Amino acid sequence: MSLRHILAITRKEFNHILRDRSTLILVVFTPLAMLLLMAYALTVELQHIPIAVLDYDRSATSRDFVQRIVSGNDLDLYAQVGSIAEIESLLIHGKVKAALVIDPNFSRDLLAMRGMPMQVIIDGTEPESGGFAVEHIASRAQEFANMALSTQIQMMGFSADALNPLDLRIRTWYNPGLKPRNDLIPGLISMVLGMPALSVALALAHEREHGTMEQLMATPIGRGELLVGKMIPYIVAGLVNVIILPLLAMSWFNVPFNGSFPLFFALSALFMFAVLSMGIIIGVFMKTQAAAMGVSFLMIFFPGFFLTGIFFPIVSMPEIMRLESLGMPGTHYATITRGIFLPGVGMEILWPYAIMLIILGFSFTGIAALFFRKKLG
Amino acid sequence: MIKRILALVKKEFIHLRNDWWLPAFMLFGGVLELMAVGWATARPIQNLPMMVLDHDRSAASRSLVISLENSETLKLEAMVDDFQTIEDALERGQISAAIIIPPNYAEEMADSNGKPTLSMILNGAESVPATAALRAAEGVIASLNEKLIIKRLRLSPDEFSGFAPRLRVWFNEALSEALYTTPAEMGLMLEFTTLLFAALAFSREKELGTLEQLLVMPFSSLEIIIGKAIPVIIIAMTDFTLMLAMVHFVFKVPIRGSLPLLFILAFGYLLVELGKGMVLSVISKTQMQAFLLVLLFGMTDFMFTGYAAPVESMPQALQFIANIVPAHHWLEILRGILLKGAGMDVLWPHVAALAILGTIIMTFSLRFVRKALD
Repeated sequence: MSLRHILAITRKEFNHILRDRSTLILVVFTPLAMLLLMAYALTVELQHIPIAVLDYDRSATSRDFVQRIVSGNDLDLYAQVGSIAEIESLLIHGKVKAALVIDPNFSRDLLAMRGMPMQVIIDGTEPESGGFAVEHIASRAQEFANMALSTQIQMMGFSADALNPLDLRIRTWYNPGLKPRNDLIPGLISMVLGMPALSVALALAHEREHGTMEQLMATPIGRGELLVGKMIPYIVAGLVNVIILPLLAMSWFNVPFNGSFPLFFALSALFMFAVLSMGIIIGVFMKTQAAAMGVSFLMIFFPGFFLTGIFFPIVSMPEIMRLESLGMPGTHYATITRGIFLPGVGMEILWPYAIMLIILGFSFTGIAALFFRKKLG
Repeated sequence: MIKRILALVKKEFIHLRNDWWLPAFMLFGGVLELMAVGWATARPIQNLPMMVLDHDRSAASRSLVISLENSETLKLEAMVDDFQTIEDALERGQISAAIIIPPNYAEEMADSNGKPTLSMILNGAESVPATAALRAAEGVIASLNEKLIIKRLRLSPDEFSGFAPRLRVWFNEALSEALYTTPAEMGLMLEFTTLLFAALAFSREKELGTLEQLLVMPFSSLEIIIGKAIPVIIIAMTDFTLMLAMVHFVFKVPIRGSLPLLFILAFGYLLVELGKGMVLSVISKTQMQAFLLVLLFGMTDFMFTGYAAPVESMPQALQFIANIVPAHHWLEILRGILLKGAGMDVLWPHVAALAILGTIIMTFSLRFVRKALD
């Protein structure tokens, strides 16, 4: 390997990207734009879920209860309805995500301490909103029962909180209030930073498609040098994002960054290496850019979104899929970004993930170089 | 005219034959990948590791731990003896939650005026599992509380129905995750495949310099566009059919509504996406640009399908944007027909929206592409 050779290839690749301003803008800013988009759209806290209410009781108590449920930002009363059929129509039209049905003997049972007979119907096609509504109603029901029955219970000789004897005290570490934004944004950063890998796959396939690969091979540049040289401009473009994205997360979305920035930078560089090697493998195998696109979408982008544990915890996946996710650099890097952003941990905890990134990076480049020789030799 | 279009379609298919494995890979690889992803994510969140620090070591505290484990959301990683272990495990991200049982837990539980307290520490570094762990613990506590109330206030256990609502789930009675995750994942895959092939239509010819050749031939620009569109539509419809069959047979996603209606609307939706892809195709100079634009636009659309966050909870401005995103309406239609058995009487607002958007996008893209070609 000679540095001069690598730099020559790098310069050529830079010229390629720079000559066409729009490619440059796309390569550098696609991750940024995607992060902005996803941060806005995917990290919303559930609120204003529309519900319908069917009150068979029609008592002051039940009206009071409904009022309590829809006060605040969590649930919005879409309509008071008169029959189950109306609920069905609202659910099927998607106008409401849940419906509360209050039984006729609601207030009587409540005051007799027999319970609060009611039912919540949720739309199983969007259980996130429905589940949220159920939880909200259940917790308000508990409060309401405590309040409505407090005098009665005290007269019976019990303390006012006798209806809620067992107390669960929650403390949330690293992310008070469990704001999804604070942990999803670091996770999303790991996802969008993988995008230059797609570009490098295309860049290599580009040479093959235009037949310029043979010309490159006729120069005294070695194959390894060629691959490394091709990678460098995209690593640089990625590292620009490694600096911009956390700044954006901190200043715009108020995500805390508790760890060390140099460490974040160094580990991000490792990740860039590993994920670009994946792109290189695809670029080596594919003869056309169209093919490189399809394969890198299916092998890098799609699983990178669903299988790296950003939205769905890896411990809950089946055994084999857990193995696949371990083979993806994004999984390890997502753990690293979250660790550095929120708990602010250092190398003493992150070293296994760093080692995994190194192993993946070198084995991918190794495979790429091996097949590169065979394909062209 | 038809003859000339057919000639163009033939040309496109010759391209595809030389690169035959690409559509094959996108179709079958796509279905397999969707199956893998669906398999991995279409399940309740479970096995979240937790640690318990039991200062009480009584029968009551052990039974609490067992009920927590029985919720299946949580899995006991270890019973620990000191808080330091929990702190380390949280920092390493090894556990999602920790429960601390105080020394007087059993005593307070038995005392008719006792106030047992439990502490739970959540690992906020990953909010999705933390929220699931919290919900599971709250469920266990609520049922324990109910038992305590019955015992302490001497209520009749048969009569007492608790202070929580009964739950009924419609359209997805067993609350199977596959029913709502796979349609969204399928929507994403379908949209990307369509956009990708559509975006390649002109950007490839442009980059390789063959577009000029095509233009000097006796084809009108409309014929070129139609000729380019037909293979994409064939690929996209095949993709849709394969994926629909897969989610239906593998993930047991029901088709409660009308299947012909679903196919007609799928065709309409794919035309809209095709128009979008063609515009991306003519505005990009190289295939790489086209690809990056496809990713950007495809992701934007995916945000509004309700996969990770419901549209109603989004800020007002985003809710407005959702209405002009075809994929948003398509997902409502797809879910409506598959899961709710909805017909045109229910779906017409989304169909109308799709038709309006489609007309605008198609008119624009035809004009735009023709202008770019002429």
